[in-house]
Amino acid sequence: MDLELLLGIGRFLLATTLLLLLTVPTAFIVIQMELKIIAGMNLRIGPNRIGPSGMFQSTIHGFKVLAKEDVLPDRADRSAFTLAPWMVFMAAAMSMLVIPFAPGAIAADFNIGIVYFFAVLGLSVVGLLIGGWASYNKYSLLGGLRSAAQMVSYEIPLTLSVVGVVVLAGTLSFSDLIAWQLENGWMLVWQPIGLGMFYIASLAEVNRTPFDMVEADSELVAGPFTEYSGMRFGFFFFAEYVALFIMSGILVTMFFGGWLAPWPFPAQLAGFAGTLWGIFWFFLKTYIFVFIAVWLRATLPRVRVDQLMGMAWKVLLPLALVNLFITAIAVVVFDL
Amino acid sequence: MTKTDPETRIPDPIELDAAEEARLRRVAGLGAAEAAAVGGDYAGFEQVGLPDRPPQTEREREVYTLDEGEMLVNMGPQHPSTHGVLRLVVKVRGEVVVDIDPVLGYLHRGIEKLCENATYTTVLTYVDPMDYLSSMHNEHAPAIAFEKLYGIRAPKRAEYIRALVVELNRVFSHGLMMGFLALDMGGLTPILYSFINRDEVVDLLSAISGQRMLFNFFRVGGVNWDTNDEFLSRLGTWRANVLKNVEMNERMITDNEIFRARTVGMGVLSGKEAISLGVSGPNLRASGVPFDVRKSHPYSIYDELEFDVITHEAGDSNARYLQRIAEIKQSIHLIDQIVDKMPHGPVQAQVPGIIRPRPGRAYGAVESPRGLYSVYAISDGGPTPYRFRMRDPSFISLQAIPKLMPGHLVADTMAIMASFDPVMGGVDK
Repeated sequence: MDLELLLGIGRFLLATTLLLLLTVPTAFIVIQMELKIIAGMNLRIGPNRIGPSGMFQSTIHGFKVLAKEDVLPDRADRSAFTLAPWMVFMAAAMSMLVIPFAPGAIAADFNIGIVYFFAVLGLSVVGLLIGGWASYNKYSLLGGLRSAAQMVSYEIPLTLSVVGVVVLAGTLSFSDLIAWQLENGWMLVWQPIGLGMFYIASLAEVNRTPFDMVEADSELVAGPFTEYSGMRFGFFFFAEYVALFIMSGILVTMFFGGWLAPWPFPAQLAGFAGTLWGIFWFFLKTYIFVFIAVWLRATLPRVRVDQLMGMAWKVLLPLALVNLFITAIAVVVFDL
Repeated sequence: MTKTDPETRIPDPIELDAAEEARLRRVAGLGAAEAAAVGGDYAGFEQVGLPDRPPQTEREREVYTLDEGEMLVNMGPQHPSTHGVLRLVVKVRGEVVVDIDPVLGYLHRGIEKLCENATYTTVLTYVDPMDYLSSMHNEHAPAIAFEKLYGIRAPKRAEYIRALVVELNRVFSHGLMMGFLALDMGGLTPILYSFINRDEVVDLLSAISGQRMLFNFFRVGGVNWDTNDEFLSRLGTWRANVLKNVEMNERMITDNEIFRARTVGMGVLSGKEAISLGVSGPNLRASGVPFDVRKSHPYSIYDELEFDVITHEAGDSNARYLQRIAEIKQSIHLIDQIVDKMPHGPVQAQVPGIIRPRPGRAYGAVESPRGLYSVYAISDGGPTPYRFRMRDPSFISLQAIPKLMPGHLVADTMAIMASFDPVMGGVDK
């Protein structure tokens, strides 16, 4: 076996391990943001006991679920019930594989990265549906079916809004997309409608307020997660927040230049400094969008399930098609 | 997981329910074949949640008999948003509510019976925890009834202080409704803004009564304490901030597109229906019926104050919400007038320690934040009421729920219910 292949496999294993490890602090940071920022917006103090100004509250939450009893409902479908959290978490973790954090800091630079990303992230709906079905609980069932309907509907405008970007940049690889943005300016300028649609659809895709139909605590208690406890619940919880981070990361990559620094800073640096520079900007931009999602959660009530579906099919889908049509014509006419 | 010995295993309640259900079906005259036809399995779920006896009324049979594709979802008594311990048995077809059966009594404390064994003075302490968001109103109605029964009147200043605390109570109760309505639609923040206002009012009321929730402030023939400096200075601060607070909350909710989409046209109750169901208070006025006990049957000092009965025409959730906000502002206007006009004098009439009214009966009604709250007391000449009966507006409002729900989605059940602002402490008494 040649050395290069072995090195490649080694690099891949290292990268996937690092990414799996990265999910843990990411989830902790996003949860902590949610606790503290929403508290601030509610004019509350929020958690302030564990660590300086409550910094480690979410960490303790994370370790708490490890220590809790794992209850398996008597009538639950055992294998499916066990499989569901694993599927949801792995869908989120696997989609991290193609996120470009910085020049050279991308686990697998596929030439079809965008297709891979949406394909894998979409798998989480299967996990939610299985979990809702297997729990033997009516709230779970309703939540699971809602999640299926919601995510399947929003997958379409989400993907269509990306097609405009792909047509324009002429690539399905995330790193090529960033290279294109380095040359032509951020995609935000070229695809403003696409950006708006992508943001709305991505909120729905990761079940965030105002589209958190799946959990809907005031109606369905906790939706498909109702019967879950202990670390199984923890996996759902982690996956949800990691997915929020990932979606923000992809939004940044596609529309806000990914790791590129904004003007007046140098967009890229060479060598190892360039990697650090890229990581800094990527995380900064991503957490700004995570912050906006948290802000929305503190501000907005939840839409109803039929209004949600109506919006996907009656507003976003036609708009996405029009956007795609205009983009395609422009590409042909102006030879972009 | 260890295998449990089948001999010693405690039977699973779900299995027991299934066995019980089979028995009930036999008792109710639904044969096995018939049961399969009407009930059957929905998505592999046996139908649990049936009442533990055969259906006794037509209505019960109607609710608990399922057509193909329907299932019962049991919401409450432990549920994040049933306003306490209300239990709703919701019959759904997918997400659409077909029928709804509120099951009451989880907070029943037998307050009426307790009151019949208490002296007239101590009755006023028992009614506090009934509708715990309007404790002052709870005390006001029996105080009026007992004064009629005993044939005394509270001094003028006491009446003014009563009206003042009662309107303060109305402000925070309506304010909380704004927050709870938003909370039941998934808005996290308005409820906490509402609690800022509630906290200030509760501080105020505790400054005058000494307690924060169950004030125990009214007495037969007056009130417990006169106003004090702390109360008056807090009242000034509160008056300066309250409208700002309400507006802060309103900015979060009133014109929010999602909020409007979920309230406008939802749960429309026409004025006629509302009257025939006995709905009263803001819920009735939001349907366009100008009925306000303070205006139509003035009690206390309300005939000396200037105010109009506010109504909204639409009768939907949004109208009920806007009605509350308008009434908050009206109450603040009333408070201004009361403070301006408040006379000097004693706050308690001469009343013996144990009151023994002559045999007779008396009725006292007040406009509580949830509607017409009234008390009917019968005296047999002894130190305790012979019969003590309370009409709680939340209980009556709940009757509208099964009428309004069918056709709406599961998500709307909670939103529409919150717009009626029921308090289970009052419903179950």
